Amino acid sequence: MLLFPFLHLLALLFVPLTAFAAGHGFAPGQEEKVKRFFNKNGGSTSKHTNNWAVLVCTSRYWFNYRHMSNALGMYRTVKRLGIPDSNIILMLADDVSCNARNKFPGSVFANPDRALDLYGENIEVDYRGYEVTVENFIRVLTGRMDPSVPRSKRLLTDEHSNVFVFMTGHGGNEFLKFQDNEEISAHDLADAFEQMYQKKRYNELFFMTDTCQAVTLHSKIYSPNILAVGSAQLGQNSYSHSNDDDIGVAVIDGFTHHTLQFMEGVNKTSQHSMKDFFESMDPEKIKSNPGVRSDLFGRPLEDALITDFFGGVAQVEVVERVGGEYDEEVEVVEKKARKETPGVSAREVEVVDDHGSDGWKKVRMWGVVGVLVSLCCWSTL
Amino acid sequence: MNPPAVPETGNLPASLRDPSTLFFQYDSVRRSIIAAYWVAILLATPLWWYTTSIERLPLPISQASQEISRPLQLPVNVCLQESKPIFAPLLQVSLDRFTSSRILEGVQIHITGSAKCETTSSGNSYIVKPGQTKLISGRALEFPMRDARSVEDLTSTLVNLIVPHLAHNDKSNRAVQFASRYRLAFSLLNEDASSGSGVMGWNVEHALTRYITPILDRVSHLHNFTIESQVQFHAPLAFDVQRLGNGEHSLSYEDLTVFVNSAEWTLSSSFSNEPVIHLVAFVPSSDHSPLRILEADGTISNSNAFILPQWGGIVLYNPSEGETSKQLSSRGFQDVFGSFANQLLSLLGVPNLPAEIQRDPRDRNTISDWQLDALLRRRTLEAVAGTKETLGSFIKLVDQIDNMPIGPSVRDDVQVALSSLNKVYDLASTSLFQTFTSSASAFDSSSRAFFNPGMLALLYFPAEHKYAVYTPLFATSMIPLAIAALREFKIWKQQRKQTNNG
Repeated sequence: MLLFPFLHLLALLFVPLTAFAAGHGFAPGQEEKVKRFFNKNGGSTSKHTNNWAVLVCTSRYWFNYRHMSNALGMYRTVKRLGIPDSNIILMLADDVSCNARNKFPGSVFANPDRALDLYGENIEVDYRGYEVTVENFIRVLTGRMDPSVPRSKRLLTDEHSNVFVFMTGHGGNEFLKFQDNEEISAHDLADAFEQMYQKKRYNELFFMTDTCQAVTLHSKIYSPNILAVGSAQLGQNSYSHSNDDDIGVAVIDGFTHHTLQFMEGVNKTSQHSMKDFFESMDPEKIKSNPGVRSDLFGRPLEDALITDFFGGVAQVEVVERVGGEYDEEVEVVEKKARKETPGVSAREVEVVDDHGSDGWKKVRMWGVVGVLVSLCCWSTL
Repeated sequence: MNPPAVPETGNLPASLRDPSTLFFQYDSVRRSIIAAYWVAILLATPLWWYTTSIERLPLPISQASQEISRPLQLPVNVCLQESKPIFAPLLQVSLDRFTSSRILEGVQIHITGSAKCETTSSGNSYIVKPGQTKLISGRALEFPMRDARSVEDLTSTLVNLIVPHLAHNDKSNRAVQFASRYRLAFSLLNEDASSGSGVMGWNVEHALTRYITPILDRVSHLHNFTIESQVQFHAPLAFDVQRLGNGEHSLSYEDLTVFVNSAEWTLSSSFSNEPVIHLVAFVPSSDHSPLRILEADGTISNSNAFILPQWGGIVLYNPSEGETSKQLSSRGFQDVFGSFANQLLSLLGVPNLPAEIQRDPRDRNTISDWQLDALLRRRTLEAVAGTKETLGSFIKLVDQIDNMPIGPSVRDDVQVALSSLNKVYDLASTSLFQTFTSSASAFDSSSRAFFNPGMLALLYFPAEHKYAVYTPLFATSMIPLAIAALREFKIWKQQRKQTNNG
């Protein structure tokens, strides 16, 4: 009679242990590394003919104002740099601009000086409110859509497309929460990107995340020609940047704020490289250590222009007036400086996003074990 | 947990029991209640298993890998008309050198020499006749054959005519990706019509009939087209135009790369999913007129048109001083639609004829038979390569991602793709057009299989998540059930022992 509870206890103890083991992935072996190295496509300039952007804000509710403005800030930037609305998939809960608590109805500001209304004009939100789900996001990436889905909601990329994917929200170790309801894991993302790669749905892909422990999200990616940057390391939080006393909440995250500020100095014909961008990141100011993953990317970072991912078209061929000899290819050559000095925030406030810290996880796990053990003892008595 | 009391066999008859030990429940009722739970669970298990498992139908993997590794050779027969077979063997040797250097992958050119070549209408066979100049008419080529050196010349001419995209190693991405349907969006954009120099309208139907329809008719076997057109009166540029000394205005190359102001121009409606080819005529405002394109060295280019690869073409149209009509003039039509026609041809991937080749003046087609065949050949090779890649990666993915469902429609699409691909190999030697049709249908089916909405892999959950979800649910209900069953089993065993002993 005593044997049974003992066995049961043993089984219960064993369960979390195996779960622990399964949770930790193995580092890719040397052989795979070598294979990956030889699979890389050489070449100094990008061969893309079109640019696409997928911008996702995975949070909703008023207190997540800053995530909405992160996504809208990116939207404004890629649009300014030449990606047309038809090539931007914007997924946004979109419940702050017309929120009853918004003192400035119809506006979203990313800075307490309120000089720039991100919601100002011509915003095309493709997936709104409850449409922002993990399933829809993966369908957008993989292209597995119902035939009735309109063109504007599809990512119609091909092997000549450079794709920029930006995600922001609340995340943890290898997951990102979608609207307090579900979550996407780093494995799902990696598999979705692999499916894009297999169907040649991108030439190069730039994956940017602004969330707590963001680097864990791109840790599982294994498809070539992907460049990834995340706002915070494992165990680090991604902090908000500035607070607006009238709006009453934090209006933007530090990493996105920094990125947008850097992008203000970039225009359609700028020659800034990704390396310049990554080097400009200051952990002091961002309050976390952004992590770059470039081992899958086939080009040196100094050759990859920011406009390869944030810009519009890069190639033009001038055609003869009569007849048909077309052989001139234009490369963007000259650097045109346009100075814009965005306002610097007045005050910095920290908002802690506390999801999935390791200690808490352990406490929870052992708590569950304890409850189950007592349950089992009670029922056997 | 007390064992059933043993009846006291002192002063009571054996048939009577002590009332304090009486248990007013039939063992059989209690046991059948417990058994009922277990029966329900056991019966529900297959249902639970069925509803939670992922449908993964078997795919014809071995057949697919066989079809994928099979090389495709499109045979092309060239009949060299000559009284004695002198040049034909030389030509074959010279062409074989091309073939062996793997430049002409996928195409096999056979030369036959004959005194009288039959005229054919199939896209696989051509005739080379002696003539004064290099001239093509129909599927025949007139070529001045003089000595052994002209064999080299004829080789390169033939290669340029039959597979121009392979011969030039054409890596430019100008031509749009193949699709069976395209939408052509013709836009007349006035930078600012209120400034006085605008073009308020164009007789677009007339121009389409004259310049565009002949092209569309020729490629109607490959694509279907939907046409839409619009006139806009305010389409500002997003950058500053440079002013030159002579009062003209110019666009540098980098201006051209950012010319399309996608934020403010609405260039096509988005009601359907077919790819769009944009053809834009841009009329600069009077402040920016005339607008020219600058060469790299700073001189004004003769050209007024440019192509954005795979996107479309743009023509700058500067109305001349004398034009009073607010409609597009006939000079304008020629200028704009002449360029549109050229741009459309190159966007569709129609190869140019080599410069030294003349065309028979009696041949009134915009695209010669040689060009059309070359386009068909190119699209066939592309579609077959695309199908093979899609099927290959599809099978790899299904293998790699365990929780990816494969429904009947996916399996059917894969089978259709495979049978179409098989048909491509069978038809390759008979009809180029039918080969192309099969290859296009193979590509369509394989893409449809890949993009099937039901193929979405279920989300990945780590094992600890699964335990976390299932344990609170199942442990709480299963533990009492298991213990009750165990206890009952023990009692039953003890009773049996007693009966045996007693």
